[in-house]
Amino acid sequence: MSALRESLERHALALGTLGTLAVLVVTFYHPVGSVLLQALVDGGRLTAGPLLAVLADPFYTGAASGLFADPLGVPGGVAAWLADVTLSPFDVPPLGFGLVGFTAYQAALSTVASVALGLPGAYLLSRFEFRGRRTIRSLTILPFVLPSVMVAVGFLAMFGANGVFNDVLGVFGLGPVRLLFTLEIIVLAHAFYNAPLVTRLVTAAWESVDASGVETARTMGASPRRAFRDVVLPQLWPALLTSALLTFVFTFMTFPIVLALGGLRLATLEVWLYARVGDLALTEAAAIGTIETVLTLSLTYLYLRYEARTAGTTDRGRPLPRRPLFDGVGSLADPVRVALLGYGAVVVVVFVGPLLSMVVESVTDPSGTFTTAYWAFLLDQQTAAAAGTVRPLPAVLRSLAFGVGTLAIAVPMGVVVSVLSVRGGRGSRAAEAVLTAPLAVSGVVVGLGLLQTLVFGTVLFGQRIVVTGAVAVVAAHAVSAYPFVTRNVAPALGGLDPRVVDAARSLGASRVRTLLDVELPLVSTAVLAGAAFAFAISVGEFDSTVILAEGVDSATMPVALERYIGNRSIGPSLGPATAMGTVLLVVTAGSFLVIDRFGGRYEL
Amino acid sequence: MKRRTFLTGVGTAGAVGLAGCTGFVGDGGAPSGTLTVATYSSFTGEGTAGNWLKSAFESEYPDATVEFVTPENGLNQYIQRAQQDAPIDADLYVGLNTGELVRADERLDSDLFVRVEADLDGATNVKSDLRIDPDGRAIAYDTGYITLVYDENEVSGPFTFDGLLEPEFEDALITQNAQQSDPGRAFLLWTIDAKGEDGYLEYWQGLLDNGVTILDDWEPAYNAYLAEEAPMVVSYSTDQVYYHGPDVDMSRHQVGFVEDQGYANPEAMAMFAGTDEGELARQFMEFVLTPEAQREVASRNVQYPAVAGVEMPEEFSQYAYEPPEAVTFTYDELAGNVSTWIEDWARQVASN
Repeated sequence: MSALRESLERHALALGTLGTLAVLVVTFYHPVGSVLLQALVDGGRLTAGPLLAVLADPFYTGAASGLFADPLGVPGGVAAWLADVTLSPFDVPPLGFGLVGFTAYQAALSTVASVALGLPGAYLLSRFEFRGRRTIRSLTILPFVLPSVMVAVGFLAMFGANGVFNDVLGVFGLGPVRLLFTLEIIVLAHAFYNAPLVTRLVTAAWESVDASGVETARTMGASPRRAFRDVVLPQLWPALLTSALLTFVFTFMTFPIVLALGGLRLATLEVWLYARVGDLALTEAAAIGTIETVLTLSLTYLYLRYEARTAGTTDRGRPLPRRPLFDGVGSLADPVRVALLGYGAVVVVVFVGPLLSMVVESVTDPSGTFTTAYWAFLLDQQTAAAAGTVRPLPAVLRSLAFGVGTLAIAVPMGVVVSVLSVRGGRGSRAAEAVLTAPLAVSGVVVGLGLLQTLVFGTVLFGQRIVVTGAVAVVAAHAVSAYPFVTRNVAPALGGLDPRVVDAARSLGASRVRTLLDVELPLVSTAVLAGAAFAFAISVGEFDSTVILAEGVDSATMPVALERYIGNRSIGPSLGPATAMGTVLLVVTAGSFLVIDRFGGRYEL
Repeated sequence: MKRRTFLTGVGTAGAVGLAGCTGFVGDGGAPSGTLTVATYSSFTGEGTAGNWLKSAFESEYPDATVEFVTPENGLNQYIQRAQQDAPIDADLYVGLNTGELVRADERLDSDLFVRVEADLDGATNVKSDLRIDPDGRAIAYDTGYITLVYDENEVSGPFTFDGLLEPEFEDALITQNAQQSDPGRAFLLWTIDAKGEDGYLEYWQGLLDNGVTILDDWEPAYNAYLAEEAPMVVSYSTDQVYYHGPDVDMSRHQVGFVEDQGYANPEAMAMFAGTDEGELARQFMEFVLTPEAQREVASRNVQYPAVAGVEMPEEFSQYAYEPPEAVTFTYDELAGNVSTWIEDWARQVASN
């Protein structure tokens, strides 16, 4: 019996790797491969035709199309384009960019905005103490679970022509500003989604900076600024770069937000890809998807190489002490605290405003008067017996169950990949990039692939194998969630002193025992942070849920929300959807507060 | 209200008589078995046309069961299944428009749907301008008219296509993306009808220069209109059916036809070629074309019935407007063209 256990333990890591690969092959590599191959294989032969057709089309690659269509004409084209560039960053001629260039451009702006909006938050949460700090810290994940259609509603109410923002400007005799359907509002919405990511990852890194390093530097005569630059900053860089890179990749592949807040005039590559799939121009869609994947995966690979170089061994000791945010009347004159107060105002406008607006919409009819009709609608749906009705309560319970299921798969998967990446040898960066691919592949491509392989079924040995239903949905959620576990856990594992592991091993513990009993407890905060991401992604996921789900019996909260938008029984109004959106907000906020409390006890 | 009750009574009696007859006309006897209907998700659920059809059909024929499937990508699901020889898993498709039928035929070598019109009682009652399929596969069951909805405090009609390029309509219009939205596509096709295949892109450049906003679908477009982002939106001529009421400011819900026209966008149903419930599907289609079903489906979908002479509820008739002239492209006019027209248009908008 103990021999069996020993053998299991010895091979557990290998088994975990195999299991991870199996889930990935079924719900990711095979589906995505089936799509991308359509651009590369024609009648059983390799071809570059579809790729070249896209690359040489000025609509896609703008001035760069010359590189593929007419390499000799390039210098003249570049000179002509440069002559057109104006000084405002929002006013660059888009035609010269092409769709790919414009997509990268808005992603770059969105990344800058997300970092600018997220970093002060990390500073505030990691360096100051105030009432509700832990709660706010765990709520920073909320934007992640919000369906874009709800964010669009919130932004409309907040930043629209008659929105709250313009009302406030009006009080000061300013405005009104027309923000909707512009590049500015898209960048702001991207910051809404991604600045919390920057805040979370950087806060986690900042909190694990050892105070003694800073104190040593200070006793050796370094100024606070110098100590920050030489001791603290190097430990924040990896987290900052991770979050910036993730933001760039996400906003490069952005799609629903652009559709909802920008419209077709600000189309990105992913918007176009979606439209090509809608027209069943699948070869062209596959070519676009391939180009997109190559670009985002290369970025991921470059980043992972950088991370491997910078990840050093750090002792996790005492965290930096936090200062009280409010410290008597005198603290109100402190310029840092005044700046943070201003930051708080920005947070209220950008984050709280849209969320609150959505809640307000759920109790206000189009003419602005109070109504309970939308909440009554939810109750009606709950009691309705009609075929095709999505009931709210089962949707809530199902979302939570799928979230827990996702945790059960994504956390082990993420830990296995972290171990591989930390202990890996030659070529492990490339392997890790491939294992991180779910972050870097277009959602439209994944969705199309799932449809063509799992939903339609794959013929194996003359049998058509169809994989749909709850298990498939959870597996798909886990695949899109586990890279977040890895991105949280891998740097923390890499930061552990290898002597701890060696000591445990030399005392006879198996590799897995060491991982479970020694390493993971030491990096529990990171595991918990990754788990929170996994849960959030599962709760907010819409596309693969809808594709893999079999009718209303597998509807989750976002699916219910989407169905209620289509339901016109009480007029063309987003009211029912905002009520469901409020439910989603409350349920997820509640879950994260629970995870937070649990995490608090776990840390003791 | 009384009038409505009265009509319901008469309608029900009529439907029972008619449906009773058709049951004997078909060669399969009284309908029985399970019919799987593929449709869009808002066709099903509490209070919808689909749910009414299911209940009414099942209570008429206790041996028959109607089930719905609502694939997220609509008809594309079945075109792609046919392309890959995957099973179709449905007997009938409900919610097809002309452009989609053209796409199915262009992407597939064999027919996705079977001809049914000749065997269908009541098919000859469908209004002649709603017969969208020259091959008699897709049968229209209702239609909407695409038009402008506007705020009469801000802009005033009558509207013309050239007029929309004038400075008074700067930043005034919200429409939808013709690549994925029915009303957006209808509005684009309408401009192609007005300006011609060679002139419509130039016309749209004019609209773009005048600040037209193009959102992805009807819901966000209408929501932006309600939030007063612009005083006009492309929508349906049945707008006021939703919006009439004592507290509603009707000046914000004026229906404006451009050039005294509206673009007709019929919705059709068609039977999948591989179905083994062909007789049941045929009987269900006949049921949909009965006057009572026509009235219920149209009023629950807030659309016009496809069959002539259907008496609609008073609140519908009072608030729905039919355009003086209905415009629509036929199957033959769209075939071979519609994809290119839309892609060229979308490229022009996205490059702008």
